[in-house]
Amino acid sequence: MGSGRWSTDVYYAAARYRAATGASAFAYSDSGAARTHPSLDPFGVSVRESRDSAEHPQSLAIAVLFDVTGSMRDVPRALQVKLPQLLGLLLRKGYVSDPQILFGAIGDATCDRAPLQVGQFESDNRMDDDLGRILLEGGGGGQKTESYELAMYFMARHTATDCYEKRGKRGYLFIIGDEMAYRQVKPAEVREVIGDGLQASLDVAALVAEVTRKWDTYYILPEGASYVGDAQVLGFWRRLLGQNVIELADLDAVCETIALTVGLGEDAISLDDGLDDLGDVGSTAGPAVSRALAAIGAGQARCELAAAPGDLHGPSGNVRL
Amino acid sequence: MTHVIVADLGYGDSGKGGVVGWLCSSAHAVVRFNGGAQAAHNVVTADGRHHTFAQFGSGSFTPGVWTHLSRFVLVDPLALAAEAAHLASVGVGDALDRLTVDREALLTTPYHRAANRARELARGQNRHGSCGMGIGETARYALEYPADAPRVADCAAPRALARKLGGLRDRLADEVGPLDAPGVAGVCEAYRAFAGRVALVDGGYLRRMLRTGPVVFEGAQGVLLDEWRGFHPYTTWSTTTFDNAETLLAEAGESALRLGVVRTYLTRHGPGPLVTEDPTLELPEPHNRHGAWQGAFRVGHQDAVALRYAVEVTGGVDAVALTHLDTAARHPLRLCRSYQVDGHTLTRITPGPARDLRWQERLTGLLLRARPGYEDPGGDWPGVIEEVLDAPVVLRSCGPTAGDKHAGAAALLG
Repeated sequence: MGSGRWSTDVYYAAARYRAATGASAFAYSDSGAARTHPSLDPFGVSVRESRDSAEHPQSLAIAVLFDVTGSMRDVPRALQVKLPQLLGLLLRKGYVSDPQILFGAIGDATCDRAPLQVGQFESDNRMDDDLGRILLEGGGGGQKTESYELAMYFMARHTATDCYEKRGKRGYLFIIGDEMAYRQVKPAEVREVIGDGLQASLDVAALVAEVTRKWDTYYILPEGASYVGDAQVLGFWRRLLGQNVIELADLDAVCETIALTVGLGEDAISLDDGLDDLGDVGSTAGPAVSRALAAIGAGQARCELAAAPGDLHGPSGNVRL
Repeated sequence: MTHVIVADLGYGDSGKGGVVGWLCSSAHAVVRFNGGAQAAHNVVTADGRHHTFAQFGSGSFTPGVWTHLSRFVLVDPLALAAEAAHLASVGVGDALDRLTVDREALLTTPYHRAANRARELARGQNRHGSCGMGIGETARYALEYPADAPRVADCAAPRALARKLGGLRDRLADEVGPLDAPGVAGVCEAYRAFAGRVALVDGGYLRRMLRTGPVVFEGAQGVLLDEWRGFHPYTTWSTTTFDNAETLLAEAGESALRLGVVRTYLTRHGPGPLVTEDPTLELPEPHNRHGAWQGAFRVGHQDAVALRYAVEVTGGVDAVALTHLDTAARHPLRLCRSYQVDGHTLTRITPGPARDLRWQERLTGLLLRARPGYEDPGGDWPGVIEEVLDAPVVLRSCGPTAGDKHAGAAALLG
């Protein structure tokens, strides 16, 4: 029993809670955390919502989930540092008026402590808090597969967006990784990680068909990861997502690549305009982005799953010039 | 290590903070299960950093150890912000990031606090030794108006929050007069910022936490201050026995070791029975002091009669942590084995019927008339305490830091 030593001033408290955390981008992982931060825990979440508001009447949902297992090496740390720039980039160039961004992370449900971590859709820098709370797993199995399908399952069934529900517009889902998904969503894993009672296994192709109804879905394979350029991995994703598979040769250009992909998807720009924009904002990422987005920006209709092209895998695919 | 519940078998201040901090070298989280911001658990690190833990768990100096405030805690978001700031100043910058709070928990507000102080002032010489933090007001208001009592979940619902805070302020002001407290809008702002910063969770979260690894349940205050079993009215509005922790564990289908913490002597903040009080004892007390609202910090010899009563009403302990052995080595401490009262010799305080405050009040009268019968404990304090409490002393503390703690029977915790 004591005497209440801590100040109870209202204004001081409000300011303290609002102040930037001051912690490093990796504070959570570096604190010795051993499991998913509760604010990112998908268990029992009914939906993550992206909603219009008076301030943001034309909300557009953008979700970025990245693989945090060991095969990604230092890429997740780089992403934790780079991704906070995404919002500013989208807004500065006016590609999107009211982006709402969600960050999340993907592990391996067969062996990881944090197989799926999902933040909230945010319109301001609170999304950075989520990013900092992502536990960098560093685990994963050695079989070139991680639980991407669980992440897609969550995005398909546990998100609700006004852009889709009110305006029939899909949001954007970016999955950054270097391995394949497991071929099926398993009921036991869904129960353990998300809490849903799923009657039977769900084939990953059927799941992709479901998730792409609500989400324009892209897979980004970055340099620096173990399986960069891997034909089996690229082939797997191209069979599922067609040309929405992006090989990113310069990790520093990840935000620019995502921003331009959204800009192209929104018909806000052409690829050339976008590359000019990059130069305007002082980015040197142009060449890398140009290579990564060549196929998407080539003026063809963006890939819809219903019209997914066949198996396009090959040593260089069609995403590099 | 299994889960462990830590409870103070005296009047508080037995050294729970240090014991919890020590246990957290092998636990991943601390769960608070009673009291609120009035707790004051002191922990000193090996490199000399000191913090008085109030709402954060006493394991917070250990990287990665979480704090969970269960629904039994009375949460004070304002004091929490200040405590987090102090933790940051002693090298724990991520305390808020390692905190989860049950949405069902009650809020202690500036209005409760102001009403608490107004009432305690009106009692004049008959003060209860309240901490002046509004803990009792919070509990009382929630009993009277369960649907209107502000809870943690309301912090994320601005309209409900403003309505509840306004109603609370008006009702309390009707009872005690104008409250010396900030306006509702300012409090709402601070609470919303709290909800935006801290992870609020549902009841099921604790079950997952318990499945992740060993958890320490950190009790506040002491069994002899329990709202029903303490010496009425010199008690706290809180269940200080193992009961709340056992309820949470049972809901999760888990169990825990029950660890009682005992000093080699007794202390008490403020008025109320302390049969073995001895003002001639001059013992070092770096972290406890005279509280403006609680009154004097008092010391007395260890009291086997009171300790046995504490163990009896709390349903038994599996093991004991014995602190302040360094003080015992340097000062002439005695052990009280019996009381002389009204011409009789008393060796046991008989527990009364459950929840009978009139019985407890008569007990208080008895204890205030009682005189201690001492014997010399000899040098073997752990042996004496094991005999008195019929439980093994598994942890011996000779000082404030973890390095001063020695596990006597680590296997029991292993």
